[in-house]
Amino acid sequence: MNPLLAQFLAEANDLLAQVDEGLLQLERDPGDPELVNEVFRAAHTFKGSSGLFDFPELTRLTHAAEDLLDAVRGGRLALDSGMTDDLLASFDLIRGWLAHVTTHERLPSGAGSDAAGLITRLRAPLGGEAAPSAPSAAGPAVLVDTAPDWLAYLDAEWLTETAGWLSTTGSTLRFLWYTPDTDCFFRAEDPLHLIRQLPALDRLSVVQPGTWPAVQEYDEYTCMLSFLVVTRASLGELNHLFRYVTDQIEIVELDADAITRHLSGEPPLRAEEVMTVAVTPVIDTEMAADARSVLHAAHRALTMDGVVTEGTRIRSVRHAVAAAARSLGVPVDLGAAGPAELLTAIDLLAGEAAPAPVAIAPVPAAPPRAEERVESRADDPGGQVGTRVLKVDQEKVDRLMELVGELNVAKNGLTFLAASAEEEFGSRALSRRIKDQYAGLHRIAEELQSAVMDVRMLPLSVAFSRFPRLVRDLSRRLGKNIELVTEGGDTMADKDVIEALGDPLVHLVRNSLDHGIETPDERSLRGKSHTARLTLTAVADGDAVIVEVSDDGRGVDPDRVKHKAYEKGLISEEELETLSDVDAVDLVFRPGFSTADQVSDLSGRGVGMDAVRASVEKLGGAVTMRSKLGQGTSTRLRLPLSMAVTQVMVVSVAGQRFGIPVDLVVETVKVPAGGMGRVLHQDVVMMRGEVVPVIDLARALDMPWSLPETADRPILVVSVNGQRVGLLVEQFHREVDVILKPMEGLLAYADEFSGTALLGDGLVLLVLNMKEVLGLAARVA
Amino acid sequence: MTSDTATGARVLVVDDAATVRLYHTTLLGGAGFAVNEAANGLEAVEAALGTDFDLFVVDVNMPKMNGYACVEALRSDTVGSDAPVVMISTEDRPGDADRAYQAGANLYLVKPVAGDRLVRVATMLTAGKDDVA
Repeated sequence: MNPLLAQFLAEANDLLAQVDEGLLQLERDPGDPELVNEVFRAAHTFKGSSGLFDFPELTRLTHAAEDLLDAVRGGRLALDSGMTDDLLASFDLIRGWLAHVTTHERLPSGAGSDAAGLITRLRAPLGGEAAPSAPSAAGPAVLVDTAPDWLAYLDAEWLTETAGWLSTTGSTLRFLWYTPDTDCFFRAEDPLHLIRQLPALDRLSVVQPGTWPAVQEYDEYTCMLSFLVVTRASLGELNHLFRYVTDQIEIVELDADAITRHLSGEPPLRAEEVMTVAVTPVIDTEMAADARSVLHAAHRALTMDGVVTEGTRIRSVRHAVAAAARSLGVPVDLGAAGPAELLTAIDLLAGEAAPAPVAIAPVPAAPPRAEERVESRADDPGGQVGTRVLKVDQEKVDRLMELVGELNVAKNGLTFLAASAEEEFGSRALSRRIKDQYAGLHRIAEELQSAVMDVRMLPLSVAFSRFPRLVRDLSRRLGKNIELVTEGGDTMADKDVIEALGDPLVHLVRNSLDHGIETPDERSLRGKSHTARLTLTAVADGDAVIVEVSDDGRGVDPDRVKHKAYEKGLISEEELETLSDVDAVDLVFRPGFSTADQVSDLSGRGVGMDAVRASVEKLGGAVTMRSKLGQGTSTRLRLPLSMAVTQVMVVSVAGQRFGIPVDLVVETVKVPAGGMGRVLHQDVVMMRGEVVPVIDLARALDMPWSLPETADRPILVVSVNGQRVGLLVEQFHREVDVILKPMEGLLAYADEFSGTALLGDGLVLLVLNMKEVLGLAARVA
Repeated sequence: MTSDTATGARVLVVDDAATVRLYHTTLLGGAGFAVNEAANGLEAVEAALGTDFDLFVVDVNMPKMNGYACVEALRSDTVGSDAPVVMISTEDRPGDADRAYQAGANLYLVKPVAGDRLVRVATMLTAGKDDVA
């Protein structure tokens, strides 16, 4: 992709987010002029940049949106929610387009028709008229000296105004004359439709025939009209639009001079004038046109009311005039010319190009250059001004993270080296020195790691940012009044965590909106305020971040949940009687459970909270729900700040080592062989008055191994879903920090492992997914 | 610097849109200008205080300090620059250009400006700079 487009796409992302956010805030606070201004500016900047590319539909749609915003900014319109909807829809469409542009580098094929409806809707509050200004895609066009005779169909006053304005702006206008064939209707041509599609229309004049035929001869199936169109659309756009009727159109581009000449009824450029221009050396016509623009500008600057014509201003005008004169091939010496002299020079230059250098100033005094240069500041190589924020490709940061991981592994290798120095070579001193070296390296590696992780940190507000819009749209569809409050948006977490958090959060918020929060009528019936409150909170808690979604809706009814779970066969009759309210609420996380009596298109599809729990646990987090009937529900997600580094406890079974996330580990115990008990078919161990089931890890993993009858039983106690389970293992090892890599290829289906990690001694460690392993154990038993 | 070539002339491109900045700097840099950038009027003024620019290419609609205010500041005693200023904006209503000239600009162009045109204008305006005091 060309770098300009890449830059545009990156910038567009930010700008569109600003527009979205601003619009939503505006809806709440429509009177805030600062907000309107911000949104307008973002839209405006976006439009300006989009004009650099050949995306006419994009520019047109943004332009319509910008015009609407401009009207709001100018106080000519009050923003209502209908307009906000249209604006949001427009920017949504644009976002979709940009996604297409990212991969295809052009707009999708249906862009024009997709935009047409929105443009009409955006323009409707403005009276439906096309914008007075639209950027022209700078395309080559033929500048014509002679105004065609059909220009007379435009009124003189408008032409005068246009000529004056053309001369000062350097804009270009295209004049198009379209005389459809008289029998065009029989060839499925629709002139009116064509004209309607014309972008950036400034002026339209429908010209009737000079004399209409007599009534009895008049044929209504004959087209007798001509169209005169003034537009700022590029030549390319015009040619494309009229590609089937090229023989019926005439396009000219006129500059201010040609229009003025037309107005004054003068003939086109006299032969000798053309000569003069032709004689002057090293000039191309475009350069001359630019020079004329500069001269016009200088003229305007000198004659306008209230313009300071001294000091730097007059000097800069002098520079500009001299530069223009030079490129016209008529160098002038302006010396210290004042405004009057400059005007004379401009008239001379713009009128009849003088054959010889024009001396204007009476005193061609030596230019006071030295003096000026004394005051000039030393060139500052550090004067480069720009943004101080570095935008880095995510892949580069990821690569850096990988390298840090590899450094950690290499670093851990030193501890093995130290061990072998002592054991194999018998040098305790060497071992100690290696350990010292390791300590230093460890410190630096840790700092490096936290520095890189810091780069990857994003505020939670990134994950929250989509919710104002989502809540707004959904609550309108559901007819509920909901106030969304976000707290702790500045809490930081790793970008992977933030990204992975998106879907679970959407699920939870949708659930709240759909099931949790009551309709306004129901709320007032229960004596609650009409407007419900949905809160998104984030707080940092050590190495974890806690994100909570809470509402003040109807809450979860534990009895109803229990019965539902019973009906679905998720719990036994006994559990139906004995389950506590807290445990009952937790049932909603069971696979296949859905409290919605009807499946709604918003959330309930049977895959609900269990999907949330699964994805949060995949992140190494936990999810819990608390609910008070009639008062609201709060779902709490606890996630690691970073997923990059995982601490695992290494254990071995049947000679093979496995990792178990340290988060899950409660304690390690050695139980004498006789201390084990048995309840039904389950091995158990009594720990502080609690019966803890013990699972033989080797059996669960189908590995042939058993401990000697009399040996102590090493048991690792883990807590999964709030339940304590003992794992019978062969031996405990150390805790290590590892970079967890997901299983790939065929092994990706091995659910009992959550990934692999490389140990310092080069061994690949399989890290267990405890939940799956316990499931396996249950099946084996 | 020789007066018959634009090469090496110092240009400050002022625009809040990074894409537009990149476009302008690429064009001008490719044509041999030494290009610096500023993201708004305020940055431009700061830059102009530290460096003597031969040309300013200034956007109109910018946060913090808009183009008009920026050009006025450039022309003020504080900065005291008499280098040519080209304002480039999406606004092309009658009257917009006058505001630019009032502020002290020397040319007003409407976005997007064709690449060759920008280079042509920049070359023209910087080539003559040493002829006049």
